Amino acid sequence: MKTFENNSRVVELTDVSKIFGSNEHKTSAIKHVSLHASSGELLLLLGPSGSGKTTLLTLIAGLLEPTSGTISLFGRNIESYSAKELQEIRALRIGFVFQTFLLIDSLTVAENVGIVLRFAGKTKKESRRQVIRLLRQLHIDHLANTFPQTLSQGEKQRVAVARAIANGAELIIADEPTGSLESKQGFEIIQLLKTYSKEEKRCVIIVSHDLRITEFADRILRMEDGKLIQSNE
Amino acid sequence: MDMYAVRTLRSQPLRLMLTIGGVALCIILMFFLVSVYRGVADGSVDYIRENNADLWVLQHNATNILRSSSLIQAAQGKKIRPISGVESVSPVLLILASIKKGDNERTVFLTGFDPEKGLGGPPRLKAGRSVLNDDEIVLDRAFAKKFKFKLGDTVGIQKHSLEVVGISTGTNAFVIQYAFVTLRFAQKIIGFPGLATCCLVKIKKGHPIAEAAGNIRKELPGMEVYDHETFLKNNIQEMESGFLPLLYTVAVIGAVVLTVVLSLLLSVNILEKRKDFAVLKTLGSPKGFLGRLIIEQALLISLAASAVALVFFFPLVLVIEQISPEVSTKSTVEQVITVIFVVMIMSLISSFLSIRRLRRIYTLEAFR
Repeated sequence: MKTFENNSRVVELTDVSKIFGSNEHKTSAIKHVSLHASSGELLLLLGPSGSGKTTLLTLIAGLLEPTSGTISLFGRNIESYSAKELQEIRALRIGFVFQTFLLIDSLTVAENVGIVLRFAGKTKKESRRQVIRLLRQLHIDHLANTFPQTLSQGEKQRVAVARAIANGAELIIADEPTGSLESKQGFEIIQLLKTYSKEEKRCVIIVSHDLRITEFADRILRMEDGKLIQSNE
Repeated sequence: MDMYAVRTLRSQPLRLMLTIGGVALCIILMFFLVSVYRGVADGSVDYIRENNADLWVLQHNATNILRSSSLIQAAQGKKIRPISGVESVSPVLLILASIKKGDNERTVFLTGFDPEKGLGGPPRLKAGRSVLNDDEIVLDRAFAKKFKFKLGDTVGIQKHSLEVVGISTGTNAFVIQYAFVTLRFAQKIIGFPGLATCCLVKIKKGHPIAEAAGNIRKELPGMEVYDHETFLKNNIQEMESGFLPLLYTVAVIGAVVLTVVLSLLLSVNILEKRKDFAVLKTLGSPKGFLGRLIIEQALLISLAASAVALVFFFPLVLVIEQISPEVSTKSTVEQVITVIFVVMIMSLISSFLSIRRLRRIYTLEAFR
């Protein structure tokens, strides 16, 4: 297992807890979790449904605030970022891959991928050129002008990955990326993310309960009931 | 224009068509009411606007002829005539009268004037000629069309028969139309031969009108003397304080309905696509990006609806004028631009109302 240097850390969580509700309705979703993930690393968070994996991802992405503990994102305490800075970070430095792909049905494949480039301030023309280049690299350039409804599940997730990496994101957050795919398609997607992580030296954090993908991970963390229970570091 | 704004609307074609139709109907209503307003406003005062009189002399405290009583002795004209600068004086009597054709009776604003002097007669003639004798009448075009009167027809007023010798325009005040007879005949109708509503005064060319008006006031204390502009303004004010505000009220209701229809569609779209919006927020859509999409959608719908409304409005007006000729409309480019401008403002308001819903869409919804 490869060891990653401290100075390339993209995410670092220290004793992070997240409690939803108050008084008797209190639910502890995350309990005293500490972890880190670095550039060029593919980190796999394994755990059953309801173990707090997705909550952890949303905390890392700055979509939720921790109840206690500290989260460092790109070398800075996440609390020190303004709402606008967090929005810019999500647009420019973080890519998201969802279990159900969440492509916009009314946009073509090229427009779905290009929308994050538009968020990054690129013109329509620039983003179109960049999107076509990226789709070609992922061997889905023939789908550029088609709509998501016409695609297979595997193709949809490829497009979702293209959208996640279009801006050269330094951190990819993937929530159950193989959850809606058959084994072969699932492997292809994980392979794609692994290649991106290695070739571009990017950090990829995958949340899953799919044990078939463990072989691709640089590190595996297991979660249960909001706690990290085992690590293969 | 972002493709998402367009494509989201197009993804529900029936709903889009119904919305455009609904908004277009509101715009047609606004166009129509504004056109009726202009038509009535002009039609009601064209008689005064196009009159050649320089001064209008009325009873004390009377300010207009539309909704004000003025009765004077026609003989006052004889006192005005010798005043310095006065070229001619023509008494006019305006009364409500019923015109009979067969068993039907219709009310007109019967205007008796002196045919020799011509002042106070029909402002424009579409057909025929003005009255010369006591047994002749000129009818308004809309009135004649509605009740199927034509030149040469005989109409009855009380026990008298009159021949229709002319058809006038600019004499349709929407709720009532002008008809023109001789002063003598009008006086005979009300049974007071010496009465008039007002005296119309023509001032000699080059003579100061204000000076002549001052001289008339001195000579006839207690009478109201108005120059053309003031009298026209008085009548416009009177008309605008009447039923015309009602037209504006209905037009405003049309604009509010438009806003509600549009807000409803935009809100339904937002709710239906809330997952999309949550994803776009998660992916880092800049502040204002999603709001701009909604504004673009509102403007798109309004522009399309305005185009539809323009296509249907003018043929519709023709049909209405055929069915109800007394509905006098007047449309100008300025009116069309004004209505479309108002529609765009209402679209912006409706989009702002809908945009509030975006705040209640959370990024976490993308992870559910």
